[in-house]
Amino acid sequence: MRPGAEQHDDAALLRAVAGGDEEALAALYDRHAGWLTVRLTRRCASPDLVDHAVQDTFLALWREARTYRGRGDVAAFIWGIGVRRLIDAIRRDNPARWRIPWRAAETQVVSSAEDQVLVGIEHGRLGQALADLSPELRGAIEATVLDGLTCAEAAVLLGVAEGTVKSRCHRARVALRAALTEQHGGSDPAAHRRQAWGTS
Amino acid sequence: MDEMTLNVSTAAVQVDGLSRRYGAIRALDEVDIKLDRGITGLLGPNGAGKTTLLSILATVNEPDSGRVSVLGLDPRDAAERLEIRRCLGYLPQELRYHRHFTVAGFLDYVAILKEIIDRRQRAEEVARVLAAVGLERRARTRIRALSGGMRQRLGIAQALLGQPQLLILDEPTAGLDPEQRLRFRELLSDLPGDPVIVLSTHQADDIAAICPTVVVLLQGRVRFAGTPAELAATARGRVWAADGRNPDAHLSWRGGDGRWRHIGDQPPAGAELVVPTVEDGYLLASHAAGAR
Amino acid sequence: MTNRDPEPVGPVAWVDGHASDGMLASYAAGTVETIEVWSVEAHLTGCGRCRSAVSAHVDAARLARNRSVLLSRAALGDGGRVRRLLCRCGLPDYLLDLVAATPSLRVSWLLSVVGVLAVVAGEAAAVRYHLIGGGYPVAAGYWPAGALAPFLLVGPLLVLAGVAAAFLPMFDPAYQLTVAAPFSSVKLLLVRTIAALTAALVPVVIGAFVVPGPGWLPVALLVPSLALCTFALAAATVVDARAAAVIAGTLWALPALLLAANHVPLRIVQPSAQLACAAVLLASAVVLYLRHDRFELGWMR
Repeated sequence: MRPGAEQHDDAALLRAVAGGDEEALAALYDRHAGWLTVRLTRRCASPDLVDHAVQDTFLALWREARTYRGRGDVAAFIWGIGVRRLIDAIRRDNPARWRIPWRAAETQVVSSAEDQVLVGIEHGRLGQALADLSPELRGAIEATVLDGLTCAEAAVLLGVAEGTVKSRCHRARVALRAALTEQHGGSDPAAHRRQAWGTS
Repeated sequence: MDEMTLNVSTAAVQVDGLSRRYGAIRALDEVDIKLDRGITGLLGPNGAGKTTLLSILATVNEPDSGRVSVLGLDPRDAAERLEIRRCLGYLPQELRYHRHFTVAGFLDYVAILKEIIDRRQRAEEVARVLAAVGLERRARTRIRALSGGMRQRLGIAQALLGQPQLLILDEPTAGLDPEQRLRFRELLSDLPGDPVIVLSTHQADDIAAICPTVVVLLQGRVRFAGTPAELAATARGRVWAADGRNPDAHLSWRGGDGRWRHIGDQPPAGAELVVPTVEDGYLLASHAAGAR
Repeated sequence: MTNRDPEPVGPVAWVDGHASDGMLASYAAGTVETIEVWSVEAHLTGCGRCRSAVSAHVDAARLARNRSVLLSRAALGDGGRVRRLLCRCGLPDYLLDLVAATPSLRVSWLLSVVGVLAVVAGEAAAVRYHLIGGGYPVAAGYWPAGALAPFLLVGPLLVLAGVAAAFLPMFDPAYQLTVAAPFSSVKLLLVRTIAALTAALVPVVIGAFVVPGPGWLPVALLVPSLALCTFALAAATVVDARAAAVIAGTLWALPALLLAANHVPLRIVQPSAQLACAAVLLASAVVLYLRHDRFELGWMR
């Protein structure tokens, strides 16, 4: 199925859900719960919290489907709700126990241009620079830039203080800037990595 | 008290000398029953005392005399009565509903009464019992819009909430069509935790199909307690099939195959002995009780 | 997620612009490196086909369980706005759900109460403003005391009726389930009665403001109404519940009618009567406290 047709179907389902159609909610669940579960699990190791977050996400959709105004992918919209429900679930539970040290991240509403940037990122210079960051800095970038969370929300997800998140983001940006503006020709990869590696 | 603890290891439900009367009517008359784990069927006509007995076991009614022990607990003691109620799932005989409730709303309400405080847990339980009785698609239907069979299934569903260790079901198959009755039998054999189940019915074939133990209750007294095979065996040698009617038989009726079935001591001419069914045993006991 | 694939992601991770199944399986199992994960997730945001492929690697039983819980919670809903407001005020939500089953809190009931009050208060107002001749002598002050008689009779009785509907078995269709359940009958009773009491008092007090009468009338109705309801509950621990409600109602109606017949209906809410009501209230509360376990029994006789 072509991506455009998929998106159209999802948007139609969301409209039906907004109108109170339970079958549409079930259909939306069948389409999206799988990947949402996986993606949330990469942010939080507790299966119970992830289950709660998934249920709460679709419940939120059931109640507020009309807030989707047709901008961006439905999947990105669902992710935006999902990650915030996960943060709520973590807040209700003990936040320290379930964080994993580093996590992948994603922009909240990804337009197609950014999609292009991120797909295949592992092969480019940016990918290399990011990979050279320490896990903590990568996690902070992921949560704030790619997941689109505020520093406060990222702090809950990462299980650290808000100030720590801010300083890590700052150091990560510094390191990335340095890595990306460096001349690569013939440079020593170890020296390159030392320069790109921010102190935790 | 020692006797009571002894009974715990032998019987899940035990009743000694139980009597209950309503005015001049003796609903239960010196009833002694001992039930083990598993499914027990109470067989008897209306007015035999089944409902009274079940309501006493469900701590909703009080006997005039006699001892009751349910899961080793005495319903006369307030604390033990509470414990019984915590393990109990009860379907009364003519359960009426708040008609404006939805199916899911009613089950949620009963779940709160069963002390399931957490909302998420309640939703899980409601989903589980709805699936068990096949009413998932009706979760948002108002009860007043349900058919009789669906309401009966809803009644069974609410009894299953909280995974009770003791299930007391008064006429659970009333109003169910044969397919639903089959589904109900499957449901009972599939219950988690192996609960003690006591159900009442006046359908002998339900008994034959699901209950390893059957108690026949007639006019407030126990007339038989044993397996369905034993009940059928009580009529051995006294059930006949013939082409014609026999006026001397205790009971005779025309079967679906056109032949007459007789229960009695005197075979009519040309009759042949047939293998008795559970229903034959029950009818024989019924007749004997009526004759007294 | 328990199925951890130890093999590293193979060289063919992307096929035709989509993630390979091996890649997705590893992603689902959590064995893919961060940077690759970012591109996989970016791709998933826009590709339904790969999303379905990922779903196939998630534990089906877990997905099914969450699905049924979700649909159950969606079916249950979160109640109306009133309920959400009360929840936010800190009331435990399960109590609110229990209260919702009370008949005297239903819109139909409340509308009937308002209707009766409107009739009674309307009649009093009409007499006061000489729209109809009530035939009552006009007492001292500016209000026709006689015309207040119906309101004084009916007001507390309406409150009693609301409370009776909260505790009488005949108003609870699933009464046997309530008895057979472990939830404390006393707690249930208290919650329902308080809710019914509040719901019934509001229109009656408002009616007392509207009715042309002494300024202290709204307040004066409070103690008698409370006393009536507490008496009915206390009596229900001694006699049959329905009888208790009827007795309570009669104990109010008889004096009210007698005083009305003698053209002094307001005596029923004057200080001496208030004291009597307060005494009844206290005595009933004590009896209720001492005998509250009778409600746990729920024996059907």
